[in-house]
Amino acid sequence: MVDDQAGKLLSYEVILSELGENLIKARSAREAMEQLLRNDIAVVLMDVSMPEINGFELADMMHRHPRFQKTAIIFISAVHLSDPDRIKGYQSGAVDYIAVPIVPELLRAKVSVFTELHRKTRQLERLNRELEQRVEERTEQLRQSEEQFRTLANSIPQLAWMADADGAIFWYNQRWYDYIGAGEQEIERWGWTSVQHPDHVERTMERLQQAWNTGELWEDTFPLLGKDGKYKWFIARAVPLRDSQGSVARWFGTCTDISDQIAAEEKIRHLNSQLQQRLAELETIMQVLPVGVAVSQDPACDVVTGNAALAEMLGVGPGDAFSPAGMDLREHPFRIYQEGRELALREFPLHRSALSGQQLGSMELEVRHKNGSTTHLLASASPLRDPAGAVRGAVGAFFDVTGRKRLEDLLRERADLLELATEAIIVRDLNGLLTYWNSGAEELYGWKREEVLGKPIHDVLKTRFPVEDEEIEAALASTGSWDGNLTQTNRDGRELVVASRLALKAQGDAILEINRDITAQLQAEDALRKAERLAAMGRVAGIIAHEINNPLEAISNTFFLLRDHPSLDDEARHYAQMGEEEMLRLSHITRQTLGFYRESKHPVEVSIAQLLDDILELQLRRLEFGKIAVVKRYRSQGLVQGFPVELKQVFLNLIGNSIQAMPEGGKLRLHVFASSRRDSRRAGTWVSICDTGVGIDVEHARHLFEPFFTTKSAKGTGLGLWISKGIIQKYGGTISFRSLRRSGRNITCFQIFLPHAALGASDRIDAPPESLKIAEPAGRASGRA
Amino acid sequence: MPSAVILCVDDEDIPRTLRVMVLAKQGYTVLPAVSAAQALELLDQHHVDLVLTDQMMPGLVGTELAKILRAARPQLPIVIVSGVNEIPDDAIFADRFVSKVEGPLALFRNIAEVLADYRSVAGSDIPCVESGSSGSVAQAIPKIPRLSKSQ
Repeated sequence: MVDDQAGKLLSYEVILSELGENLIKARSAREAMEQLLRNDIAVVLMDVSMPEINGFELADMMHRHPRFQKTAIIFISAVHLSDPDRIKGYQSGAVDYIAVPIVPELLRAKVSVFTELHRKTRQLERLNRELEQRVEERTEQLRQSEEQFRTLANSIPQLAWMADADGAIFWYNQRWYDYIGAGEQEIERWGWTSVQHPDHVERTMERLQQAWNTGELWEDTFPLLGKDGKYKWFIARAVPLRDSQGSVARWFGTCTDISDQIAAEEKIRHLNSQLQQRLAELETIMQVLPVGVAVSQDPACDVVTGNAALAEMLGVGPGDAFSPAGMDLREHPFRIYQEGRELALREFPLHRSALSGQQLGSMELEVRHKNGSTTHLLASASPLRDPAGAVRGAVGAFFDVTGRKRLEDLLRERADLLELATEAIIVRDLNGLLTYWNSGAEELYGWKREEVLGKPIHDVLKTRFPVEDEEIEAALASTGSWDGNLTQTNRDGRELVVASRLALKAQGDAILEINRDITAQLQAEDALRKAERLAAMGRVAGIIAHEINNPLEAISNTFFLLRDHPSLDDEARHYAQMGEEEMLRLSHITRQTLGFYRESKHPVEVSIAQLLDDILELQLRRLEFGKIAVVKRYRSQGLVQGFPVELKQVFLNLIGNSIQAMPEGGKLRLHVFASSRRDSRRAGTWVSICDTGVGIDVEHARHLFEPFFTTKSAKGTGLGLWISKGIIQKYGGTISFRSLRRSGRNITCFQIFLPHAALGASDRIDAPPESLKIAEPAGRASGRA
Repeated sequence: MPSAVILCVDDEDIPRTLRVMVLAKQGYTVLPAVSAAQALELLDQHHVDLVLTDQMMPGLVGTELAKILRAARPQLPIVIVSGVNEIPDDAIFADRFVSKVEGPLALFRNIAEVLADYRSVAGSDIPCVESGSSGSVAQAIPKIPRLSKSQ
């Protein structure tokens, strides 16, 4: 209430008090402004005519103030206001006029309207404010929610976008920008297609358009170019967001990177193709593998597949089944035996393995083919199981061991042969240690295999090689073998000569040795050589004898005719006589040197004592001339059955040798006595002929009785003792000798034993055996020089 | 002097001739033959008391001739002379097998002994010629008894 007159103010107050409103009085426009600023004034009741600032001016001021532009003003005017003033008042925002005199009811009504209006306005304002606040709050919520959404949208691994109903994209999440490395402007609306792989753009757009039109869900897969310049595969989806009316408001879309998935799929595809390759390779390997392989994919093994090797092993042709399931076994191309017993179908390796669920080791099988041939197989089988562990089939592997079996048989045969061999077959390593020793070696050397295995065998056998080790090694290295004779000692200490052949084993890690005992052979050869020499001698002697004896007979017959021939005078007869004598000597020598000759087929009794005397008489001149003393001691006549000429030859030869052995003179002792040898109980005559000559060298002793052996070089035939020995042996007798050196003198003594019964004689002399006493003084015996 | 007839067989001329002469000088009547074949012929034509044959001859050798004669004329004494030292196994068919080197005296002795053996077996009506002209020789050498075939 603005009035410069307090009474009026009071009257207004009175009039208005019954309204119950808060009444503020102002005496001037200034005061009114102050009150306006200080309070929320619903309506201003003011007098138009006031000093200083009138009502219109105040209203104008108020209306210039934004806060009071809408504040209602009621002008009280004592003067009638013209219409332009009213218009002016209304223009300045006043809403009403009250004329004086004031009608209280009117005033109250008008103020009441304005206060009510003010109150409503204020209420409205408050409501508005509340509304605004709620809007603000909501907006804030929305803002937060959108913030959350964006955060969420930025944090999801997918590229996300939003488009309006016609598909124009207005928002992308951060991942987009991160992925394509481009700014917002570039991909706004349809710009994103610039990063799509060009091959896919057209299709994508078509499908998208369809989605926009129909509001159906959109899905596609295409590569998008990343900022690294590489395309990656994405699966793109868009779902429509509908408003409460159900029409599409927006599209929300995502692009999911599936390059890893694609790569994984690619990898799987690659693996699959590799697997296919491996399978193909495996298949090829199976077909070329020399091992037979069989596979069955059913637990009963009704159907069995096999590779080429198995088909060959079993003799199964292209049309034949590997498994004779449901067939008569006799109709099948093969039948299977184990250790000679035919196997039933359920005992076949695959079937047995599948039935038992057991892995089978090495079964030795014999496959008998229809054509009668046989194949030996080594089979093994194993069940196949499904993931749950149930048997779903079986696989088997088959090795053809026919060749090996044959080889084994062959080797066994060879081993048996080695054991059959009478030769010693020896294998030693390069250190000389024995690794093999056959029964022939056991036989030959007397050492059992277990006694010598692993030992240095040539030390055990005391082997003497004929050449240096190096030479043998060289021969082995160059030719692989060496032959030669070895001298070895067997377990009993007996010395053996073996013909040996050494060979280096093919691998060069052992030496094979085959030794054959040739000791007896050498002895036999030696004997044979002697016999051959003897035979040759005999042949030569025979031929010479024949060729000389024939003319000798003619000559001796001639001399016989010349003897006392009447036509010869004394002188001629003398010459003939001399010729005959010399011819007789020739006959004698021939008979002695060119062989023993029997004057008769039949032996006669011969006295050795008499024989010796005859010889001494023949040699009388040589003995005397050679200053050789003869000591005879005959204890027996020494009667033997025999041929005098042969026996005479023996003793003439021995005595002749003795005389020749004593060129400086000496003593010749002749002993004859009867004896019986203890070992044989055969009675006989011992004769010993001893001289004090030059003796016999040890190295000559061995060869003394060999033919053509002579110490007299050109003088002797080398046959004397050999012939003598032959004659003595024919009589069943023995001849031996000893040559001693005693106190500076040699004593050489030949001793001959001639059995009485040798040639059928029966004169037996039971004299006790008497040993020969060489050292006995010669004086005792009855000597005859 | 011995009066026996001896068939002397030898393929070689000089030795045969000399042997014939020596035997003749000793008093024997001697028929020479150059081969076993000729000897067999002569035996059919002449009386012969003893056959003296060389061993080594072409054609039939001495022992082969002896074998034939032993079968055909068991009573005919046979003496073989030989230059070889070895006495062949079939020498059994002859009465004596004598070496040529022994000389004429040994030959006479053997012939005389064989003849004597046969005469003593044949009987006393056949004159004994053992103590012949060269009796000193026969006596000087000890007599060797002939081993009969049955022994």
